[in-house]
Amino acid sequence: MILETIDLNGIQSLYALSNRLNLNNVLPNKVTIWKLRNNNPLRKSYVINNIKLNEFDALIRITVEMSKYLYPYIKEILNSKEDIKDNSVIWNDFNKRFIELIKERFNVDSMRVKKLLNQVENDEIIIKSLLILSFCISNQGYDRLKNFLFDF
Amino acid sequence: MQNKLSFNQSSVCLEIIGLPDYSINENKDQISIISQWKLTIINKPLIEGKIEHLNPIMNAFYIYSNLLIKNEIPIYESKLIDIKADNLHIHNVVLKSSKPNVKPLTLKIGNSSLSDIINCFDQLNESSKVRIKKTMVSNYLTKKGRFGLKNKVKFMNFIMPPFIAICSLIVFSSTFIYFYNPIEDKDKNELINTK
Repeated sequence: MILETIDLNGIQSLYALSNRLNLNNVLPNKVTIWKLRNNNPLRKSYVINNIKLNEFDALIRITVEMSKYLYPYIKEILNSKEDIKDNSVIWNDFNKRFIELIKERFNVDSMRVKKLLNQVENDEIIIKSLLILSFCISNQGYDRLKNFLFDF
Repeated sequence: MQNKLSFNQSSVCLEIIGLPDYSINENKDQISIISQWKLTIINKPLIEGKIEHLNPIMNAFYIYSNLLIKNEIPIYESKLIDIKADNLHIHNVVLKSSKPNVKPLTLKIGNSSLSDIINCFDQLNESSKVRIKKTMVSNYLTKKGRFGLKNKVKFMNFIMPPFIAICSLIVFSSTFIYFYNPIEDKDKNELINTK
């Protein structure tokens, strides 16, 4: 969701990256990616699909690749929050769009989603998510993100 | 003449200075014997040291960043370096000199600089031109974490199904207690015996 907040054309980029990474056999089309994303219990369209290991791997690879590509933006957003008095525009725009996307796609009745919508509480969640993405842009990023998700 | 290699990531530059190990026929552009390293962060004082300081400092940043993203208390303390979170955005780095009468150097770095530093260290680790003895925390995963993951999977797979089966058996069989009347049963037995 964070990556999609930064990249307005997120789903298209995810699909293009899956092609570039030769993951067509695992993620043949946008519908497959959409189905996998619906495994998130916070989403409105939540469906229980057992994610296979190769699908999980493919999603991590795409996330790492997308983070590499969006790193300058991720850094700018983090920077904007650091000196919020002088440079609040980027952070405010990002936060606004993030909340819009959450309202559009997530089940707003859920307590966890309500926490995401609360501007006071969501700062920490957003910053940590941005940091995780920024730490996984190296070639070791795949293993790092995978280990982090297993340990979550 | 010493070799110099730079690893850059936006606001941070890590410079490694050293020589190749000719005793193992290394290329002349390789660095295996590191004599000095410099870490430059924009608008911050220069950090430099010898090879024996590089690994502990890299480990400190790796461990700290790991604590930060895993919702644990982000504090790292050692003889050489302390890193502590001031708040959600600022991290306090205290570098202690090994020389006597030298005051510790305190730096305040933001999240963006922290991620640049980590990415510079990653570039160094991945570089084929620099050989350093790696004592770093592998992929941020602690032994405890790895052990915990294995245990979690095994526990779920092997303990939970029989546990649920036994519990449901107890619950199911306990319902029959309500239908069982010992006096009625005794009467029935007596009737059978008299016949």
